Amino acid sequence: MISRRKFVTRLVQGAGASLLLPALQHCRPAETMHAQLGGPDAALGHRLRTMDFGPPVSDTTTGIVIIGGGVAGLSAARYLKRYTSDFTLLELAAEPGGNAIGGQNAVSQYPWGAHYLPLPNDQDPELVAFLQETRVITGYTDGLPVYNEYHLCFDPQERLYINGYWQAGVIPRAGIPASDRDEIERFLALMHEYKEMRGSDGREAFAIPVANSSQDLVLRQLDSISMETFLTQHNFTSPFLRWYVQYCCADDFGSAPADTSAWAGIHYFASRKGKAANAPSDTVLTWPEGNGWLTNQLQTPLREHIHTRSMVHNIQWSHGQVAVTYFDATAGVSRRIRARAAIVATPQFIARRLLPDAPRAFRPEAFQYAPWMVANVTTTAGLTEKRGEPVCWDNVLYGSESLGYVNAVHQKAGLTGAERVLTYYLPLLGTDALARRQLAQRTTADAWTDIILADLRRPHPTIEQYISSVDLWIWGHGMIRPEPGFIWGTDRLQAARPLQDTVYFAHSDLSGLSIFEEAFYQGHTAARQAWQKL
Amino acid sequence: MIRDERNAAGFQWLLLFSVFVVATCGLIYELVAGTLASYLLGDSVTQFSTIIGTYLFAMGIGSYLSRFLKDNLLGWFISIELMVGMVGGFSAGVLFILFEQVVYFRIILYALVVLTGTLVGLELPLLMRILKDRVEFSDLVSRIFTFDYIGALFASLLFPLIFIPYLGLLRTSFFFGFLNVGVAWIVAYRFRHDLRGYRSLRWSAIVCLVLLAAGFALSEHLTRLSESLTYPDKIVYAKSSPYQRIVLTRGGNDWRLFLNGNLQFSSLDEYRYHEALIHPGLSRVHHPQNILVLGGGDGMAVREILKYPSVRKITLVDLDNSITTLFKSNEALMKLNQRSLMSPAVTVVNQDAFVWIREQKNTYDFITIDFPDPSNYSLGKLYTTTFYRELRRLLAPGGCLVIQSTSPFVARKSFWIVDETLRKTGFATLPYHCYVPSFGEWGFVMGFQGELPEDYTLPAGLRFISAATLPPLYSFPPDMDRVASEANTLNNQVLVNTFEKEWADYTR
Ligand SMILES: Cc1cc2nc3c(=O)[nH]c(=O)nc-3n(C[C@H](O)[C@H](O)[C@H](O)COP(=O)(O)OP(=O)(O)OC[C@H]3O[C@@H](n4cnc5c(N)ncnc54)[C@H](O)[C@@H]3O)c2cc1C
Repeated sequence: MISRRKFVTRLVQGAGASLLLPALQHCRPAETMHAQLGGPDAALGHRLRTMDFGPPVSDTTTGIVIIGGGVAGLSAARYLKRYTSDFTLLELAAEPGGNAIGGQNAVSQYPWGAHYLPLPNDQDPELVAFLQETRVITGYTDGLPVYNEYHLCFDPQERLYINGYWQAGVIPRAGIPASDRDEIERFLALMHEYKEMRGSDGREAFAIPVANSSQDLVLRQLDSISMETFLTQHNFTSPFLRWYVQYCCADDFGSAPADTSAWAGIHYFASRKGKAANAPSDTVLTWPEGNGWLTNQLQTPLREHIHTRSMVHNIQWSHGQVAVTYFDATAGVSRRIRARAAIVATPQFIARRLLPDAPRAFRPEAFQYAPWMVANVTTTAGLTEKRGEPVCWDNVLYGSESLGYVNAVHQKAGLTGAERVLTYYLPLLGTDALARRQLAQRTTADAWTDIILADLRRPHPTIEQYISSVDLWIWGHGMIRPEPGFIWGTDRLQAARPLQDTVYFAHSDLSGLSIFEEAFYQGHTAARQAWQKL
Repeated sequence: MIRDERNAAGFQWLLLFSVFVVATCGLIYELVAGTLASYLLGDSVTQFSTIIGTYLFAMGIGSYLSRFLKDNLLGWFISIELMVGMVGGFSAGVLFILFEQVVYFRIILYALVVLTGTLVGLELPLLMRILKDRVEFSDLVSRIFTFDYIGALFASLLFPLIFIPYLGLLRTSFFFGFLNVGVAWIVAYRFRHDLRGYRSLRWSAIVCLVLLAAGFALSEHLTRLSESLTYPDKIVYAKSSPYQRIVLTRGGNDWRLFLNGNLQFSSLDEYRYHEALIHPGLSRVHHPQNILVLGGGDGMAVREILKYPSVRKITLVDLDNSITTLFKSNEALMKLNQRSLMSPAVTVVNQDAFVWIREQKNTYDFITIDFPDPSNYSLGKLYTTTFYRELRRLLAPGGCLVIQSTSPFVARKSFWIVDETLRKTGFATLPYHCYVPSFGEWGFVMGFQGELPEDYTLPAGLRFISAATLPPLYSFPPDMDRVASEANTLNNQVLVNTFEKEWADYTR
């Protein structure tokens, strides 16, 4: 009763004390709110196309040069650090982290992109070792890892806004017909079968990293159809289930089921087998700044090797020799660095430009990327909302194309609740790549704000009055899209092949799935190969 | 009676306009009633449909009754419009105040709905009769109903989009009451020559307008008034800090502190609570010097701690500096805590305890934790294995900590969850309880590492804890005895869920 009464007090007092202005203010967020648009260093990136860099003013050498300081590049550097300090990492942005970068304002830290890591599988020893180094895993009981409780997502983890009500959990349940519920159960049971399944080669059907998955042809066949076709073939028609699958595809791939390989779609449900001694297996690891916490842990011991604001624009190589030219944006000059090997940890649409003449036998258009719009919406105390579960870490809106929002203050240790930062995620779906890119580039900050508010107003009807700022970020090439045929096709494998044992490639797009585990795997695998050859 | 054609047309349109206003206002009052009822009573679908249904039915009653009104129809029409304005305008305020006071809240709610509906229902038939000789019947019906329905549309759109967000419920209902009465007055004035009793109507209208305007202006106070009605005694201090609503009441000798409406202490028996919080633990610590108090910004726990002469330093961490400032500046309250917060031994830290504690390196001989009950997920974090693990790091060898742990009678499982959570973290525990009249049966859990000495030295002058009263505190009767429970962690928050359920079951 107390909470209801409190609610009424708000309601009764109203928000605008003035009688005169209501019509003017209506529907537009309060004047104090400002929207800002950002993105990965777009200005620098564009210069890559025009290539107007002067001749290099310096020439230095290093053992191995890593290009790109996202998760993959940092993971490669972490691996090398064990054996040598003769390596250099060049990162375009002012901060390493790539898609996992986080930000901060007066209220809280928040993610700009990647925000969580599911409990990792124990078949991923390198990742487990990293989590032990950083004390994310603090020990073992009965053979199961004990996770640091500050990093396990605090309860309550997730809720779904459906039928005017916030239900617990994101699988639609509240107020939906029994037949749909049965269908969802049938789907989950099928996914569970895939989770337990092994291929004819004895390997797990769906594994992380993808490279450890079974090569069984029957399973690989799933890559030739879309997730939507898979659903249809199995007679899954419930709109509630279909929405849920769409949400899951958007979460990991930023694409709709029709544009997603069924193998990848199933992978989402069937590959995560991590367990913990002190949490249920569907708990995730998360931090106020998202996976920015992980990339910070990665980069801290590597600081002296990292050059930021350094944009590589050309790589020349011959057997056992590389010359990398990069633009040092701080000094405004071009520099050259020579090494015995290079690890290219950028996405392939960039790697291609850096190595224009390389004999890499893949079709560039096979690598399709999903643009994302991420907004950090800061709200003041007392944000009202519809009934049901109280605010969780993950707050999903049924029927929306967005992922809903993550409450960035959720994982702060202290009291939370008054002011929040809501990190809102919107993948730009659609089959046509050009249309997606144009949508990403042409939409103005105000137009984005309207789109976000229209979505958030459903569970929070008066949200405008509680917003103090909206900060936006556009990821033009946010995630690799595992379109049908991509995971088990030849392009991915061709693109990953090293050049003359000298230039190695490491990026999550080479896995076909854009998740932390894959980026991390790509990084240390490439580093191991490079180091062994030297 | 009517002088010329132009006048006749004006007459008709003004009356139709007032139909429009009555229809708008009438629906607004119903929406207000429905909204209030769904928030206060829950289940909005039921509330809205029964209220709208009752309203429509009452309009039927009104239409039926209209036949009994015989002459001076215009006079009746205006008086009824005044009444609609008054009843509707004040309805939200009345309902809001009465909600906490009256057992039969629903009866009053529906009585008001019926009254408004009946009055609005009277209006249309009356108007038809007033205009029947002046306007073609088919035109009359078509016009009256058109205005009626437009008014309804108007109301149902404006209510959620403009009025609730910008004015709030109370002001909205006063505003429409004002509009209602205003229009009635204009009609009366326009036809003052044809109207019997114009003067008294005018005076009624003025009085109504003044009352409604006052209601509008005082809406804010009204919400506060309703708050003061929820406390049995007089409010002597009220303030909203960024964290909570602080209310201090006084009835004779009884000073009571409420945070967010929850009683924190009554000056008549708080010594029982605070002696029980401090002495069973602190008296067992040998030569305690450095003490940590988490929560407890009222300084009462500190007052008890200062009774140990060996104590050198007390660090008090309370989130809300409005509380610590209040208890450092108000004379009456400083009498209660015996100016404990002014003691040179005391350092007050206004910070979030969880954030603060993670940064600490020093150890303490005694730690007492007096947080609000775990009634939400945010507070629940302060009762987790993670939090207790941080505390263990800060506890000096031979020291102990004590946690206020809600009522083992009302929330038996919750109490034992706190105990289990401490044990899971590696503490040995000694749970105990005592009776505080204003709270009921209350529980505490003491935590320590290794062995805690059996012997203890109590300071002189205690009113509740003594060598004789201590032993029974450690024994639990069957209705509060240990139940098997799970430890509370950040990622399961079992305590909050259990606590909520147990208290809801108890207070139902
Ligand atoms: C909105 C969004 C949400 C996501 N959420 C999650 C999540 O919750 N969990 C999860 O596991 N994954 C998530 N991801 C996927 C995320 O992309 C991966 O987890 C991972 O961070 C990818 O790392 P990477 O190293 O492969 O690629 P990137 O992050 O793309 O790293 C490439 C790096 O190379 C740098 N670079 C590019 N060009 C040059 C150049 N010419 N010279 C120098 N440096 C250059 C870039 O600045 C960048 O730092 C999300 C992605 C997006 C876009």
